[in-house]
Amino acid sequence: MNGLSARTALESSERSSFSLHPFDIAHPTHIAVVEPDTAFWGLVQKDRLAETLAGGPLHDTLRAKGAAFAREMDLLRFHLKPSAVYFNPTERCNLNCSYCYIPGDMRRRGKQMETSEVLAALERLHLYFRGHMPEDRLPQVIFHGAEPLLAREAIFAGIEAYGDRFRFGVQTNATLLDEEAVSFLTSRGVGVGLSLDGPVAEIADRTRRKWSGVGVFDHVVRAIDMLDGYPGYNVICTMTTENLPHLTGMVEFLHGRKAPACMLNVTRCTLPGARAVRGGDDDVATAYIAALERTHELYLETGRKLVVANFANILIAILAPTARRLMCDISPCGGGRSFFALAPGGDLFPCSEFIGVPAFNGGNIFHQPIEDIIDSAPFQRVIGRKVEDIAGCDTCVIRHFCGSPCPAEAHEMNGGMTQKGAFCAFYEEQVRYALRLIADGRHEDFLWDGWDEGAETACSIGAN
Amino acid sequence: MKKSSIPTPAEVAKKPRPQPRPDLIAIRKTCDAEGTGLSHYVLMDKQVKR
Repeated sequence: MNGLSARTALESSERSSFSLHPFDIAHPTHIAVVEPDTAFWGLVQKDRLAETLAGGPLHDTLRAKGAAFAREMDLLRFHLKPSAVYFNPTERCNLNCSYCYIPGDMRRRGKQMETSEVLAALERLHLYFRGHMPEDRLPQVIFHGAEPLLAREAIFAGIEAYGDRFRFGVQTNATLLDEEAVSFLTSRGVGVGLSLDGPVAEIADRTRRKWSGVGVFDHVVRAIDMLDGYPGYNVICTMTTENLPHLTGMVEFLHGRKAPACMLNVTRCTLPGARAVRGGDDDVATAYIAALERTHELYLETGRKLVVANFANILIAILAPTARRLMCDISPCGGGRSFFALAPGGDLFPCSEFIGVPAFNGGNIFHQPIEDIIDSAPFQRVIGRKVEDIAGCDTCVIRHFCGSPCPAEAHEMNGGMTQKGAFCAFYEEQVRYALRLIADGRHEDFLWDGWDEGAETACSIGAN
Repeated sequence: MKKSSIPTPAEVAKKPRPQPRPDLIAIRKTCDAEGTGLSHYVLMDKQVKR
C-alpha cells in the first residue's frame, strides 16, 4: 500500500506541470507563492505577483529542478525506514497530568518491565535496526512514558549495556532525577527532556500534578539547575488554556535559566482530558507567536538563543524539507514509518499517542519479527494516512509544511483517519509566521547555528 | 561539559539585517532525509555531539 501511494504521488507530480499558487502571509510587502506537491516556494513583492505567476525565475527553477524536488518529497514521504523507538519501560506514572494521552488506569496500576525485559527488547531492536541502518548512524531509543525513571534501574542497565549501539534519550517529569541520575545520563551523552508548563508554580502546577494534587514545579526547576551547561537537555511546555497568557513569561524563564532548547507543543487531543484544556486556534497562535518574538528579543539582547524546536522544525521544513527532524508535521507522519512506540508488555504501536488505543496494537516484539509488525494492518492504517485523502488538506497549498497532524486525534476525536486533526488554523498561522520571518530575513535567528551543515543549496534567490 | 561559543550582544547587533528585502526570495536546501522523531521529545543528539 505504501509503495503504491508513493508511486501514485510521484507519477502524478511528474505527469502534471508544476503550478504556483499564491498564499497570503499577512506581510506588508511580500506574498508567498507555493508549488504544493514539491513544497517549493517563493516570496514575491505583492505588486509583482502577476508577473511571477506568469513566468520568471521560479518557473525556471521548477522546470530545471521540479522533478528532483518531487523525488525528494517522495523519498521523504514514502521511503524512509524506522530509525527511532519511543521505549515505554513502564505504564505507571507518579503524576496525573490533565492532558496525558495514556489512560489513567494504566498510569496507576500498569505493567512495568524488569531489567531482563528491557535488555531483551533492546537486543531485538538492535538486530532490527542493524538490518537497514548504515553503520555510521545510530538508531535512537527514547525512554518515554508514563514516567520512565520509575524503571530507573532497568533503563540505566540498558543504557550501560547498549550505549555503543543506540543514541539514548529520556523524557521525564523530573521528579525522580537526582544528582546521581543526572551524572549518569550526562556523562553518557543521553538526551534529557523535561516537562514544565509555566514559569511559576502557580501556573505550572495547574496541569502537572501528582495524584495527590500536589504540583511538581520545584522538582523541575531543581533538575534544570542540575543540568545547567549540558547541551543535550531541553524543556517541553504544553500549551493549554491554563498557561497561554504566560507563554512569554515561560520563554523568559527558560532563557534566564540558559535552557538550550524547548518545545511549545499544542495539546494532542487523543483523549478527552486533553480536549478540556485545549486552547482555541487563534488564542494559541497569538500566544505562541508572541513567545517566539520574545525569544528573538532575548537573542538580540544577550546573543544567546533559546531555540523553540517545534517551530524550528517548521522553518526547516520550508527551507530544506529533507532536513526536518521531527516527523509529526509531514504526511504521512512518522508514526510507524520513521519511529514506533514500544509498550511495557512488548506491544508495538505506530506512535506513543496510540498506546491507549488497542486497535492500533501492531504485534508483540517478543513474539513477532518487527518487520512483520511494521507491515501489520494497524501500522499501515497510520502509514497510509496522507494529506491527499483528507478533505481540505488535499487542496491546501501548505499541506507539506503542516502534514495535517495528528492521526491519533483525527481518529479518536474527529472520527477517522481521513479527518483533519485538532489545530488546522494554528498550523496555518505558524507557517504564515515562518514565511514572514524569511521575508524579513530573520529566520536564521530562530534556528540552531549550523542547522544546515551537510545540506546543499538547490535554489537561492534573494537569500542574502 | 562543553558549552557552545556565544556571540556577544554587540556582535549580534552588528549582524547584517538586509533592508530593504529583495523583490523575490526563494530558498531550497537538500540533504539526506533522516527524519526521526515525534513532538514528545526534542532530538538533541546533534547538540550533544557538538
